[in-house]
Amino acid sequence: MGGGGFTCDPGDPALDELVLQLAGKPVPRILFLPTASGDPRDQIARFHAAFGDRPCEPDVLSLFRLADVRRPVRDIVLSQDVVYVGGGSMRNLLAIWRVHGLDRLLRDAWERGVVLAGLSAGAMCWFEGGVTTSSGAPEATPGLGFLPGTLSVHADGQPARRAVYLKAVASGELAPGWLADDGVGLLFRDMALERAVSARPGARAGRVDLVDGRPVETPIEPDLIAPAPRQAPAEVRELRALRYGSPRD
Amino acid sequence: MEERLPQIVAFGGGGFSMDAGNPLLDEYVLRATGVERPRVCFVPTASGDADHYVVRFYRTFAAMGCEPSHLSLFRRDRTAAQGDPADHLLAQDLIYVGGGSVISLLGAWRAHGIDLAMTEAWRRGVVLCGLSAGSLCWFSEAVTAFHGAPRRVEGLGLLPHSNCVHYDGEPARRTEYRRFVEDGMRPGYAADDGAALHFVGADLHRVVASRPGKRGWHVAVKGDRVVERKLPAVELGAPVALVA
Repeated sequence: MGGGGFTCDPGDPALDELVLQLAGKPVPRILFLPTASGDPRDQIARFHAAFGDRPCEPDVLSLFRLADVRRPVRDIVLSQDVVYVGGGSMRNLLAIWRVHGLDRLLRDAWERGVVLAGLSAGAMCWFEGGVTTSSGAPEATPGLGFLPGTLSVHADGQPARRAVYLKAVASGELAPGWLADDGVGLLFRDMALERAVSARPGARAGRVDLVDGRPVETPIEPDLIAPAPRQAPAEVRELRALRYGSPRD
Repeated sequence: MEERLPQIVAFGGGGFSMDAGNPLLDEYVLRATGVERPRVCFVPTASGDADHYVVRFYRTFAAMGCEPSHLSLFRRDRTAAQGDPADHLLAQDLIYVGGGSVISLLGAWRAHGIDLAMTEAWRRGVVLCGLSAGSLCWFSEAVTAFHGAPRRVEGLGLLPHSNCVHYDGEPARRTEYRRFVEDGMRPGYAADDGAALHFVGADLHRVVASRPGKRGWHVAVKGDRVVERKLPAVELGAPVALVA
């Protein structure tokens, strides 16, 4: 996601819904990783507010609060249907994942069919690289490289980031790839882009390629998706309340 | 400018993070700078730059006759003080590192070049201090028990010793530290909650305590067994004997 989703206003519930649908299960397990922002409690509360009443089993892994985590991290990650990564500092995200071995665990999870999702830093991390503001001004930075190519986010809201991206593609510092506005989701199945969606009218995506040494952007018209707000069936909510209490942090 | 010696004050625990209302360790590190109104930068990386922690730092240090600031590695795009964090660190008299996950701290520091900046600051005589993760990080090797069983972690190596914190508060750490040293971890120092190890250069200068009975320990292999040696601590804020 180029931005948007439950951690940002206006929330884009259609994107959250889509992420759950991709799991292909009636009640998928979804794990939120707020590492890129340092696991702040407000993001975690927003996650529970967004997913608590949907048909899913939400959970959060805070690498900064591992002292409170009893289960092995590997079990937690590999038992999910969806892993949803929050935005923040891409440099911190990758550095902290690597020291905790999350990069390898997420690769395993992806290869086993766990849906990987995220916005901003949590979207660019899956690609070969992206444009981060982790140190202030936007700059090109490498990602995990699960997906071929690169991604630059907030393409509508942050023109400086977009300019840095195009320049980095032109210079060869970043491989060609995609631009995504806030509210836009790019769905990759295996390594290939299958679909572009948008929760916001007018939001766009683009493919950037190098043509004769210059970056050329081809617009991608995303499918506008609308939320179908619904509550989990009463018995699911009751079960969840019994199991976890509510809301959970 | 007067040459300043490298100094590190490594807390086993305590200070404003753990022992609100007992300012003795925090006052001690401010005095260690030898500056009347020291510049103090709080580095809360190990907590993920938790807002409440930063707020508590300012609440505590704003009232202690210093110039407080903090360094956030998660919100560098939104921080007013942009520019090179290394320059900011080198301009301090005291760098105060908060507790949390030492593994996350080291990962994030290395990604931002803070490890090098800390080393340079130390060489130039900026006093480095911290508790828990903010103590372990300065040593060559340390014991972390943040998740699951205690395990060994490599720190920045400014102090060529091993380190264990919360020595009286978490018995599992003590047991594991002794076992690690027995298994070949280099000898080193442990500190109770409320005690701090003050190093000048690479050598232990003194142990200070903010509460009675809190101590530092030297742990090493002698012959074929681990020997734990109690280190005398200077009790900070001990009542001054009044002449009758």
